[in-house]
Amino acid sequence: MTHFNPITLVSHKHYLEHDTGGGEHPEVPERLLAISEQLKKSPLCPVLVEVDAREPERQDVLAFHDESYLYRFEETALSGKTYLGHPDNQICFDSYQIALLSAGGGITGIDLLENNNADLVFCLVRPPGHHAESSLPLGFCFFNNAVIAAKYWQKKYEREKIVIIDWDAHHGNGIQAAFEEDPSVLYISIHEHPTFSFPGTGHAEDNGMGPGTGTTLNVPLRPGSDDTVFLQAMERLVEPALADFRPDRIIVSAGFDGHIKDDMSGLSYSTDLYEVIGRKMAAWASQYCQGKLLSILEGGYHLESLAESVERYLQGMAQTTQG
Amino acid sequence: MYIERHMITPALTVKPDTLLPEVKEILTSHKFRHLPVVDHDNRLIGMISDRDIRSAYPSSVLEEEKRRTILDEVSKTKVEDVMGSKIFSLSPLSTLDDALHLLSRGKVGLLPVVDEDRQVIGVFSVQDLMKAYKNLYGIGEKGSFLIALEDDGQPKPLTRIVRVLEEMQISFSRLSRVKGENNKNIIYLRVQTFNINLIHKAFKEIGMKIIKD
Repeated sequence: MTHFNPITLVSHKHYLEHDTGGGEHPEVPERLLAISEQLKKSPLCPVLVEVDAREPERQDVLAFHDESYLYRFEETALSGKTYLGHPDNQICFDSYQIALLSAGGGITGIDLLENNNADLVFCLVRPPGHHAESSLPLGFCFFNNAVIAAKYWQKKYEREKIVIIDWDAHHGNGIQAAFEEDPSVLYISIHEHPTFSFPGTGHAEDNGMGPGTGTTLNVPLRPGSDDTVFLQAMERLVEPALADFRPDRIIVSAGFDGHIKDDMSGLSYSTDLYEVIGRKMAAWASQYCQGKLLSILEGGYHLESLAESVERYLQGMAQTTQG
Repeated sequence: MYIERHMITPALTVKPDTLLPEVKEILTSHKFRHLPVVDHDNRLIGMISDRDIRSAYPSSVLEEEKRRTILDEVSKTKVEDVMGSKIFSLSPLSTLDDALHLLSRGKVGLLPVVDEDRQVIGVFSVQDLMKAYKNLYGIGEKGSFLIALEDDGQPKPLTRIVRVLEEMQISFSRLSRVKGENNKNIIYLRVQTFNINLIHKAFKEIGMKIIKD
């Protein structure tokens, strides 16, 4: 019979208060609510442990972001302006604090993993992070949650070699920008081809710079690519890169917008795929990192598919088969 | 679109009596492949390329004695003896499209830009053309991507697209219509937003379909 290992969910009720103005904006609080509702009725429910995210130290955020950017973001939010930089990046009065708390999700998870209070952590956070650069908000992202987590892991716990695996449908330009010259972090992104997909970065030829050459792996997929194409890319490109790098820790930038029902990309993944991905991520964590796995929510905008896909991802991750 | 905004100035030029070793040195040190040749009034009279120079120099597989003889000749050879005289040139009011046409027709990598008196005032290369078009079409611009739309055959498709994008305040940098398969037109559009919901709403409103693959 199927048995599930415990999963710690790091989240915070304040995440629901990041108001993106309603209308047609896809990055809405209902995303987290839909996931919570789905998990409540899931067979996983008994193994889920909920933990509140804590706010990061300022220095943890400054490990990647410019201080002037923090001031600009805070002032813009407090002044009552409704967006930061581009109108895509809608904010409310409390968005600065909530974005900080979102960055704190990964950090909270890392403490749990390193203090042996958890092996599998999923951070149910918003706003998402992987498009944010050191002083640039982009694509609904303000602070780069995965980058801040990776830098914290290295500094606080001396986990030297980190891999960030990003299978959100969109390229995580902010993560790439943070580590493209840094050989200690391998960034792997599988995304829809940048010519046809936001933010227009992540070409296969971009494989890092200077000392970081070879520790960025971009795998662009043609619009319409399905589970088979995704899994082939994993097997042919991602697995050998991981085996070569041998990470000490794995961070997953978990975006669910490659789902066929999600209009935010032209990819055609099924809900089933996410369970397979969950199994793979947990297997790699066992192989390389004593089973420790940190996943951070990025995109995923079709509420029903998002909720179901997250559930299946967690199921795949937590599954062990007993005789 | 005018070349005067995209050309490289001032242009490095050589005189017809410049000797080949000097030209070779200029091309190598600046990593150039072409140089305009001008008379003493700075008027364009020819072009010299690294290929012209290579042809003049002796082959590395030649016997040493023959090599020395040829090298000796080369050291006394003037640019005017080997330069190409079939010259294509642009004017400051030529457009990027003119340049593309001429670069392609002339199968050259660089064009001199001359004023009404044929005086060389700048140069414009294939690389400069790519850079200009990259900017013009927003290629590689972070935060943007290309959408392909099926032309529905209804009147004024481009007008309808521009109107709805402007009404919804969706910024865009490229709009072009090309003939696709089966004579159906495809409309390409580069948008600068991640709010794809809004884009879907916009095109639904005007009855246009996004091509997904």
